[in-house]
Amino acid sequence: MEAVRRNGSPEVNRSMEPHITSQKKYRRYNKYIPALLLLLPLLLLIIGFFIVPMLYILYLSFIQTDGLDTSNASYSLMNYTRFFTDSYYLSSLWLTIKISLYCVIVSLLLAYPVALTMSKCTPRVRGYIALLVASPLLISIVVRNFGWFLLLLPNGMIHRTIGSLGIDSSSLRLLFSETGVVIGLSNSFLPFMILAIATSLYNIDPSLEKASAILGASPLRSFFSITLPLSLPGVVSGSVLVFSLSMSSYVTPALMGGANVPVLPVVAYDQMINLMQWTYGSAMSYVLLGVTLFLVTVFTRSMERSRFKEVFR
Amino acid sequence: MRIGRNIRLLVTGLSLLYILIPMLVTIPASFTSASYPSFPPEGLSFQWYTKLLDRPEFIEAFFNSVKFALLASFFGVLFGTLGAIAIAKYEIPGKSFLVSVLTAPLTVPQLVLGVALLIYFTPLMLAGTQTGLLIAHIIICVPYVIRFVLTGLSGFDYTLERAAMILGANPLKVFWRITLPLIRPAILSGALFSFLISFDNVTVSLFMVSSGMRTLPLEIFSNMQDAYSPIVASVSSVVIIISVLLILILEKLHGVGRLVGGAHE
Repeated sequence: MEAVRRNGSPEVNRSMEPHITSQKKYRRYNKYIPALLLLLPLLLLIIGFFIVPMLYILYLSFIQTDGLDTSNASYSLMNYTRFFTDSYYLSSLWLTIKISLYCVIVSLLLAYPVALTMSKCTPRVRGYIALLVASPLLISIVVRNFGWFLLLLPNGMIHRTIGSLGIDSSSLRLLFSETGVVIGLSNSFLPFMILAIATSLYNIDPSLEKASAILGASPLRSFFSITLPLSLPGVVSGSVLVFSLSMSSYVTPALMGGANVPVLPVVAYDQMINLMQWTYGSAMSYVLLGVTLFLVTVFTRSMERSRFKEVFR
Repeated sequence: MRIGRNIRLLVTGLSLLYILIPMLVTIPASFTSASYPSFPPEGLSFQWYTKLLDRPEFIEAFFNSVKFALLASFFGVLFGTLGAIAIAKYEIPGKSFLVSVLTAPLTVPQLVLGVALLIYFTPLMLAGTQTGLLIAHIIICVPYVIRFVLTGLSGFDYTLERAAMILGANPLKVFWRITLPLIRPAILSGALFSFLISFDNVTVSLFMVSSGMRTLPLEIFSNMQDAYSPIVASVSSVVIIISVLLILILEKLHGVGRLVGGAHE
């Protein structure tokens, strides 16, 4: 082939060249065709019913209309300025952040000992604990909230237990309060925190702890200067997960807090479904996404620049 | 050292109890003989289970939930498995970007997804329809299937496929006799997981349903918000028992702790 081309006349050369390149091109794209065919239904689904709707509400959030009619709409930042200048929405945002932070703290305190136990026990026991920890995630959130509902009712077991200790619990509001929401949310997201911390604890080289014991460190000292710092990546990723999930939870605040705890998702749902303020609801969705992303990024960046920055590599 | 260990084990036990307590409370409460829900239950009776059978809205919602969960996991597995095979097998430019786009519905809050789909579906006449609800459920299930099948394919030996091809099997036969049996556990886990995710879903469904068409978790949700009676406890117990059975199958197949841990990293 090479010889023919080199020695052949210019006419032959010209006639062969397009043929060769088209075949090459064909072969180059040919190898993508089966992959594309397999991916096509999935791509159409995700683009058509996820990416386009998400972009569509981003576009809507910059539109100013009355209700659903978008015919004589104009572009503006009004939906966003309305959010950030109205004290009702700002206090709702602050309430959401505050409740999410409480959830992170509660679940951190309860999760760390479980994760530590998981990292120290036999693989068999570890498997059982993982099953107990993870399976509630696959049981509907309304069912889990109902259990807490029963316990937290004004005449429920917790109130009665407090009362039997001789403390007056009538002024204590557990249900339809921030406390109830924090209990419900931390209960549902605790498994994520446990699994995140446990994963980072498994990766710690056990000889490090042994070495520090040989060098005379007490178990407490070993924990604070070896185990805890090395588990920080798990603590950070667990906290980020619990925080973002709490920020966007609707069902638990609606059931356990009701009208007394108007967190942002509850307010946004009300705007969307009851008031039909779709452009404003779209803007609130993106505010929720943006604020969560911003806070999570600031938190992770500051942890990665902290005293323990080496462990995040 | 002893004391520290004992405190750790005590807190571990309490945390596990804290996680499991909603389920441990609900099932006994469903056997109460009183007309209001309470824990500990008062007396013992099965009346709230027999009364459940007289409430057509719960029965209908239950069958709706099962129907949508079956359909969502079927289509989720179909689209997700084909896509995951393409991603694992072929050299596609920008593969990791593609995976993160295809699994992005997991990272967006369900509330935002519900808002977006409701607004988008309304002009398409899909809002409040069965098709709309099904599409929404497929969207939330498919990323899990992609992840499970990709994990299942991560150690896949492609020489087996080539060997079958050389021995004269056509591509369809290769898929059916070689590829599929080897990734069957991953596909089954994806299907069961999708079923549970769809069966349990509240937030996205809230935006997708109309008054005539509800799923079981939504029926529980609205009953808890409006008036609550021990009947909620008996419906919830039914949901718990079904979920626990499926979770035990998942555990045998794949290990639930590993699934959930991997699914949300």
